[in-house]
Amino acid sequence: MGSGRWSHDAYDAAAAYRSRTGRDAFDYDAGVRASRRRQDWTAHPDLDPYRVDVRESRDSAEHPESLAVAVLFDVTGSMGYVPRRLQEKLPQLFDLLLDRGYVRHPQLLFGGIGDATCDRVPLQIGQFESDNRMDEQLGRILLEGGGGGQKTESYELAAYFMARHTSIDCWEKRGKRGYLFIIGDELNYERVYARGANAPVTGYDRGGRRGVAEVIGDRLQDDIDTRDIYAELREMYDVYYILPSGTSYAGDRQVLDHWRGLLGQNVIELDDLDAVSETIALTIGIGEGTIGLDDGLADLRQQGSTAGRSVERALATVARGGRAPARDGRTAARDGGAAARDGGAAARDGGAAARDGGAAARDGGAAARDDGAAARDDGAAARDGRTAARDGGGAAGDGRGVSRDGRGDSRDDWAVSRDDRGGDRGDRGGRVPVARRSVVRRRDTRGARWV
Amino acid sequence: MGRFAEARHVIVADLGFGDAGKGTIVDWLAGCAAATARQARTAAVLRFNGGAQAAHTVVRADRRSHTFAQFGAGTFAGVPTLLTRHTLVEPLALAREAAALAALGVPDPLGLISVDRDALITTPLHAAVNRAREAARGGAAHGSCGIGIGETMSYALGHPDLALRAGDTESPSRLRRRLLALHDWATATIQSLRNAEPPATHDGADPPAVVAGVSPSVGCGGAGLPAAVAGVSPSVALGAGPLPDVDELIRAYRAFGRRIRLAGTGEVARLAAAGRLVFEGAQGVLLDEWRGFHPHTTWSTTTFANATDLLAEAGADAGDVCRLGVTRTYATRHGAGPFPSEDPSLAPLLPEPHNGTGRWQGGFRVGHLDLVLLRYALEVCGGADALAITHLDTAAAAGDRLRVATAWRAGGTRITRLRPGPFADLTHQRHLTDLALAATPELAAPGRPWPELLADELGVPVAVTSWGPRSGDKHPPTMDASPTREDQDRVPVS
Repeated sequence: MGSGRWSHDAYDAAAAYRSRTGRDAFDYDAGVRASRRRQDWTAHPDLDPYRVDVRESRDSAEHPESLAVAVLFDVTGSMGYVPRRLQEKLPQLFDLLLDRGYVRHPQLLFGGIGDATCDRVPLQIGQFESDNRMDEQLGRILLEGGGGGQKTESYELAAYFMARHTSIDCWEKRGKRGYLFIIGDELNYERVYARGANAPVTGYDRGGRRGVAEVIGDRLQDDIDTRDIYAELREMYDVYYILPSGTSYAGDRQVLDHWRGLLGQNVIELDDLDAVSETIALTIGIGEGTIGLDDGLADLRQQGSTAGRSVERALATVARGGRAPARDGRTAARDGGAAARDGGAAARDGGAAARDGGAAARDGGAAARDDGAAARDDGAAARDGRTAARDGGGAAGDGRGVSRDGRGDSRDDWAVSRDDRGGDRGDRGGRVPVARRSVVRRRDTRGARWV
Repeated sequence: MGRFAEARHVIVADLGFGDAGKGTIVDWLAGCAAATARQARTAAVLRFNGGAQAAHTVVRADRRSHTFAQFGAGTFAGVPTLLTRHTLVEPLALAREAAALAALGVPDPLGLISVDRDALITTPLHAAVNRAREAARGGAAHGSCGIGIGETMSYALGHPDLALRAGDTESPSRLRRRLLALHDWATATIQSLRNAEPPATHDGADPPAVVAGVSPSVGCGGAGLPAAVAGVSPSVALGAGPLPDVDELIRAYRAFGRRIRLAGTGEVARLAAAGRLVFEGAQGVLLDEWRGFHPHTTWSTTTFANATDLLAEAGADAGDVCRLGVTRTYATRHGAGPFPSEDPSLAPLLPEPHNGTGRWQGGFRVGHLDLVLLRYALEVCGGADALAITHLDTAAAAGDRLRVATAWRAGGTRITRLRPGPFADLTHQRHLTDLALAATPELAAPGRPWPELLADELGVPVAVTSWGPRSGDKHPPTMDASPTREDQDRVPVS
């Protein structure tokens, strides 16, 4: 910390530049730390997930084609200095997405993940925002720095919240999945616990465990297998896990394998935290088909990022497996099926691509999809957001059907194993977990719920 | 090049050593939609040289007054400012100036500013080196402003790949890398200055060439200057105080980068399509880095050149541009350097409410109108299309004491014109300085009204005359009294 007038100037300037949003510093964290005993720490009301019905990403006149992007990061002690750096660096993500033209109407949500076994604030989830208010939310994330030292954090609670308590127009209206990034260094608990254990009725103590009932307020009949909640989550989001350097388990094989089991190739090792925003932006750009890997890496280099090589390695896998970028950088092939994305999707490699699971002939603006055979035009679902082509038959929903994007996935049942998603779920066959079945709530295309 | 009345865009430059009244002219132009045949509204004020050391005072009809440093002088009129790539941005001072403007009732001043991504950033690290170097000069101090403008320029020239630019505030990683490099450089430079033997006193030898880039004569903007910088004693600056903390700077600059609109190529063209552009110069042509009286110059191109380049890049028709030269009816100079027509006895007659004696720059100097210098200024900036003449009210009050220098006498020679040398030939410029230091002016009574005299002698028509600090005091009069343009639709600068 310098002394003298200049440092006041720096502080005042930062405050002045932030004043538009009423945000004066990363003040929530500091304020809570300074003013309360640890056992009294709480999430900022805007980020407290308890009894939240839904966090929404909605289209508007200003943002006609919103794209939901959620970034949740582990704020426990094993992450070291990483959460603070993320808090400082993530605000530029929005600018990157827009400036590079990767996405036209991103809406960003930030959140913090802790450990429901021993943290005061195991989960913090902001709102989807399409302007500087997201900075405010980031600034309100409490960096508790707790965690239990058991190499496990409550990522699955975050996954549960995102799966059951978010409603995003990109998916519901246009059948286009949002993006969800989880940044952390440890394992999920095996189950999403329905309720706490060894926990007093009110409050909880170290050693107590909280479940969905205590943290989020839902009453579940039973626990949910963590793998199931991720499968459910991946219906609606393309989910990525980022393991940054500077954390306790950076490079840890067990951690990486664990997440690959849940997310397939969508696991990114990141050895330059400064490039986290660029990495996320690039992943989305490739996913959106607005940029190829090579162009994206060139962008990274141009940014002066040294993360290029690790990002390249990480994203090369992603690109190869999940969404190989087309040579022209404008189309992306998706797992198990083909989706022509972003308006007018160009034909790949000279015109047409025959895909496994069906041949998709694409031209100019239409994509024939396997199973669903839903034609889209101009990146928007031809379903006009009300009807959904469903379940392999191209049946039009009656306006309340679950909107599926037909991405290689035709199921009548939520629980059919999805080999194409990677992971170790084959052993589960068609078993339908009782707990899930009892709580699955399907959405209609407007985002309202019915059970 | 077009006459004022026909031209779409206007470039305002000071034909003297600064302080001619560019601010008030820009304010007048900004509120001046009806004053020209085109009736173009002013889309933006563009700064095309200098940095936070500029000091352009504007007084409004309602007596609100502000000395603009980084904000354009059209701000009161609600006209947005673009700091082009030729300017140096000081984000901390910019925030302070925004707060001052907000206190004066300007709604959302930061919303009126945009900055080219390529504009250099002046940091407290530059300022620390600046002050250390100044202190190491001992008695031979240049009288720098202490903001670090010159250090910013010289660092950018020496480290083109590491210089901090506005666009870097968008990327935390790049920002950190560059600030750390800057911090290392500042540490090493200050250390080496400490180790060097400081000169005890100024023994009358020539001050060294403008190492720090800021000459004594450059106006140091009060609004942009941190009080502690101006007030700090050189020895304290050199001897004590830790260097600025990089993390703290990153926080401030990140906030700047998120809040301020950063502009890229094409911005000038976009603004030009939206309306009239007013280019607001800083300092004066006679302080130009290449054409001024070396070494009493500023590290900045003060002629029309930068603005002309920007307009050409934007595809503007050169015939659509008016180059407006601003001069008082007498000469002024703030700080050291040659001033042949200087006449201290005029000072009591020519009140100077906004230019006091600077602590380091020295006193505000006045003298008679110097046609030799004005002709030289016009010649080195390729001529002007029109003149703006200011301070006619002051001149009227001074009565017949004011004279005109029609020629110089030096070494038995009568000089009416100074020959411009090859571009960037500083040896030639130094010879001119020696000549001017040795010259005595031939003074004559003006014998006719100032506008007539200047138009005749310089061969340039007079577009506007100023009889007071407010834009309503101008002829042709405008606008100041009318509502400001805040309620009109404003071109977003982005």
